Amino acid sequence: MAARREPELGRRGLAITGLGTFTGARLAERLLEGDAPPRIVALDLRLPRRLEGRVRFHRVDLTEPTADSLLAEILEKESCDAVLHAAFFTDPHPDLELSHEVEVVGSLHVMNAAAAAGVRKLVVTSTAQVYGPHPDNPGFLGEEHELRPHRQAHALRDRAEMEGLLRIFAQRHRDLVVTSLRPSWIMGPSFESSVTRRFESSRLVTLLGYDPLLQFLHEEDWLDAVELALERDAPGALNLAGDGVLPLSTLLRLAGKRSLPLPHPLMYRAAQLDSLARTGDPPAAFFDYLRFGWVVDTRRARELLGFEPIYTTQEAWMSFVVARKLRGYR
Amino acid sequence: MSREIPPDVLAELRASVRSLRRELESRFGVGEALADPSEASDSLDEQSLEDDPGAEREPAPERLGPGWLQQLRSQLGAQLDEFDVVKLYESLRERIAIPGSGDISAEVDDFGLDERYLQRARRWLDWLYESWWRVDVTGIEGVPDAPRVLFVANTAGILPWDALMIAHAVERTHPSGRRPRPMVADWIATLPFSHSRLARLGAVRACAENAERLLAANQWVIAFPEGQKGALKPFRDRYRLQRFARGGFVSLAARLRAALVPVAVIGSEEVHPILFEPRILRRLLGVPIPVTPTFPLLGPLGVIPLPSRWRIRFGEPMWFDDVSAERALDPLYVNRTRERVRGAIQNLLDEELPRRRSVFA
Repeated sequence: MAARREPELGRRGLAITGLGTFTGARLAERLLEGDAPPRIVALDLRLPRRLEGRVRFHRVDLTEPTADSLLAEILEKESCDAVLHAAFFTDPHPDLELSHEVEVVGSLHVMNAAAAAGVRKLVVTSTAQVYGPHPDNPGFLGEEHELRPHRQAHALRDRAEMEGLLRIFAQRHRDLVVTSLRPSWIMGPSFESSVTRRFESSRLVTLLGYDPLLQFLHEEDWLDAVELALERDAPGALNLAGDGVLPLSTLLRLAGKRSLPLPHPLMYRAAQLDSLARTGDPPAAFFDYLRFGWVVDTRRARELLGFEPIYTTQEAWMSFVVARKLRGYR
Repeated sequence: MSREIPPDVLAELRASVRSLRRELESRFGVGEALADPSEASDSLDEQSLEDDPGAEREPAPERLGPGWLQQLRSQLGAQLDEFDVVKLYESLRERIAIPGSGDISAEVDDFGLDERYLQRARRWLDWLYESWWRVDVTGIEGVPDAPRVLFVANTAGILPWDALMIAHAVERTHPSGRRPRPMVADWIATLPFSHSRLARLGAVRACAENAERLLAANQWVIAFPEGQKGALKPFRDRYRLQRFARGGFVSLAARLRAALVPVAVIGSEEVHPILFEPRILRRLLGVPIPVTPTFPLLGPLGVIPLPSRWRIRFGEPMWFDDVSAERALDPLYVNRTRERVRGAIQNLLDEELPRRRSVFA
């Protein structure tokens, strides 16, 4: 059976960097449960136990100086025709240098290896936070809008730098379909990040006098979008978010959470040390995203990808809230 | 009449009403909504049970037998049982719904307009419109009932009262009853409190992308091309239009085939007479801080706009149906049209200004 399918699968090799991340692991599981599972080549530091024996695992450290040639070798040997690059820290890593090495230099390795190995498609998981929270943002940010991540958020600055490199890379390699996915904040029953952890508590610190419109993307919709991006060709950046926007205060009210509004100059100063220790960024790097709007326009993903989110912003949020309540968090 | 009731019974009745009142106050925190405790029984009837037909104000004074007390008790008990706390709560909320404390709905539109919030704010906008500024509207019959209309108006002052009032005037006087979406300066978003409220009332940040999206969705939009220069213009320059940005609004109206309606607002430029705007404060704080006779001298009180008398005049609409797509982007054409619009608004202002006898009358 396996022998009969081998040639067909050989054409459909999919390499996933960062298999240990939520996106990598969940997408691999999803594809393996599908009708015609591709041959998944996992590239990470270690293999998640639940995927043992189901994927072809290669240990790759993206911070090594020669990771690109190692990667190219593996991609060629395994005859992969698509690469999903998900090896990013879900949360800002307090080690700024390591973070930069993995996110920017590591991504560069992946890009170069993909080009050298003759891969047909490269999908990169970015974030809509790279647009940055700014009072002069338009109501809906299009993909062509300038990337102005919060200047104190090192992880997002790195991500924006990576996006810049990716754009140059895509211009040089026209034969390669390069897609970068920019989801707004992902919410759902199982996705965990520093953002969801902030929203988990029953009392959320907010900024006095600010009530921005927020968008959420449900985790299943996010995985759908990644799958679609691997299936269909949509070169360029794509914004992803659920339908609708809601003000922060309304979200908290829907969830029965209370807000603790603090004046931002005070709060930024008070939370400085704690925040630096946890994420390496001052608190403004997160809380400014609760101060000014950064709502994205998802029309391009709808047109090019046929992406139709199942969950609206409100539903994604409620699904997150309900799941956490059932699990005993608040 | 009440002296016919035995004093101990009256005291008991008062005590029970007082405890009810305390409970209501602790629950809703609005002492003013219910009146003086000395007249508690009367005031309770008047204020909160007014639409209850069975409201029994006086017990039957003739039958002083042991029966009447029980009757009174049972009547009062029945009344308290059907006393709908939720309804009272809603009516109190209705009564004291000031912008900001009124409740909000679970859905907003793309730019944050909250219908329910707007509904609650309407009584305040009505009051500002009718009593505070006594707005006169002329020329509204010239505003076409087209799917896309772009209003272009003069502006002054930091807080966009003029934007709210033009939107309100159109909604109240135009037969279509449509409410245009005002575009407000972007640094409003950096001020705490103001932006979230304005967004709930339908305002959006002034930028080409937002205007295009709204017009493309067949919404009516109000633009203030003077922008920050207009908002910060000193009092001596009132009703002298500042330069109009780059004329993006012209090419937008031409491309999207929107009717362009010049609007002149008289009175709005006196509500916050700006004496000067110190540059040093802007550099220090990042936001412009204008100095008016009352602000920052009187602190928060200085933000209250002066009650000048307003006149809103809508001019003849301009149509761009015969303008080709290339022409709509031609800088010379855009520039010329922009100046035409500016001239039209200035003319309206110059016509209206001599007609008023004084700023406040």
